[in-house]
Amino acid sequence: MTGLALKASKNAKGSTFFGERLVRSLEYLRFKARSHNAVYACETVSRIVSEQHKYRLYMEMFPKEWERSTKSLYEAGHFKAYSERTNEFFQLVNDKCFPLLEYWHDDPDFELDRFAIPPMNFDLCCEEIDFANLRVSYLAGLMFYFVDDDEIWTYFSEKYGVDKGAFPPIKASSHANVWRERQKPMLRPYSDLIRLVDHSTGNPWLDITNCQYSEYFEWDKKTIDWLTETYRNANQYFKNLEELDERIEEDAQAFLFELISFWNTGMIESGHIKQ
Amino acid sequence: MHSDDSPLILLRVEDEQINPAIILADNLMRRPAERLLTVEEIEGAENILTIGTQEVEAIESHRKAFLKTLPSAVDYIPVGF
Repeated sequence: MTGLALKASKNAKGSTFFGERLVRSLEYLRFKARSHNAVYACETVSRIVSEQHKYRLYMEMFPKEWERSTKSLYEAGHFKAYSERTNEFFQLVNDKCFPLLEYWHDDPDFELDRFAIPPMNFDLCCEEIDFANLRVSYLAGLMFYFVDDDEIWTYFSEKYGVDKGAFPPIKASSHANVWRERQKPMLRPYSDLIRLVDHSTGNPWLDITNCQYSEYFEWDKKTIDWLTETYRNANQYFKNLEELDERIEEDAQAFLFELISFWNTGMIESGHIKQ
Repeated sequence: MHSDDSPLILLRVEDEQINPAIILADNLMRRPAERLLTVEEIEGAENILTIGTQEVEAIESHRKAFLKTLPSAVDYIPVGF
């Protein structure tokens, strides 16, 4: 950082200081040298409008941070296409709303006018299943999608002493009630688990995978609020798995019986396990 | 303006103007960034951007058409040659 910039950042807020004015003038001169190029002028208008739009969003979403910010409105930040102030906004969204700067967005040359979000769910189509790294409840949900693969049963058998033959056969397709929006409180954890494994939660963080075309989001308040809320809900889904894990630890046989019963019939049948 | 007017006459009757995006870009670059654009100003900028982009595209298509035009010999020597 130059001495000028240091002075600018130390001064009181609200005024334009010499360092900032100098950067602004240099930006203008750089523009002026090419200003009679209509294509460049269109790009400039587009960039300024887009940046202004983000400043407005910053002010609206984080008014206190905007008020005390000393980041330059002109000097390029880490993501070179944007000012330091816009970069600060990206960082705030990342810290307070949802992970924005991870995964794909690690290249300083990247343009973030439309951004993708990283999938939080397990990718069924191309990830290797590593049992040790999966929650046991999630693994239980995978049984319905790997019916012919006995590896999951072997895992449960070795870890919890359950036997596949003691359970009703898993039907090839689930009962329609499994996908009902409204579920009784008792059934909700099973429905949520199956939806999670099936990538059918309606939550973008949980339903997208690496294998599909990325869905891109834009910078407007409604989208940011929605992604923030769905990110919180997505984490709650995984939090719920912790409770299911505990139930499996307590009684794996009863849990699996209820889960298979729900998949096959859409309800939890009371009954005894075949011996 | 008639269709049989010479290219020079056609050019002379055209409005003489600078692409509006150039003027707007200059205004925006002079404006302090901390004075945020209003919703109306953003809408206005987006309209000008559309007009400016259309003009760039129109010129580009004229240029392509011009490059495709076959050269023809003139029956006099232009001034300076």
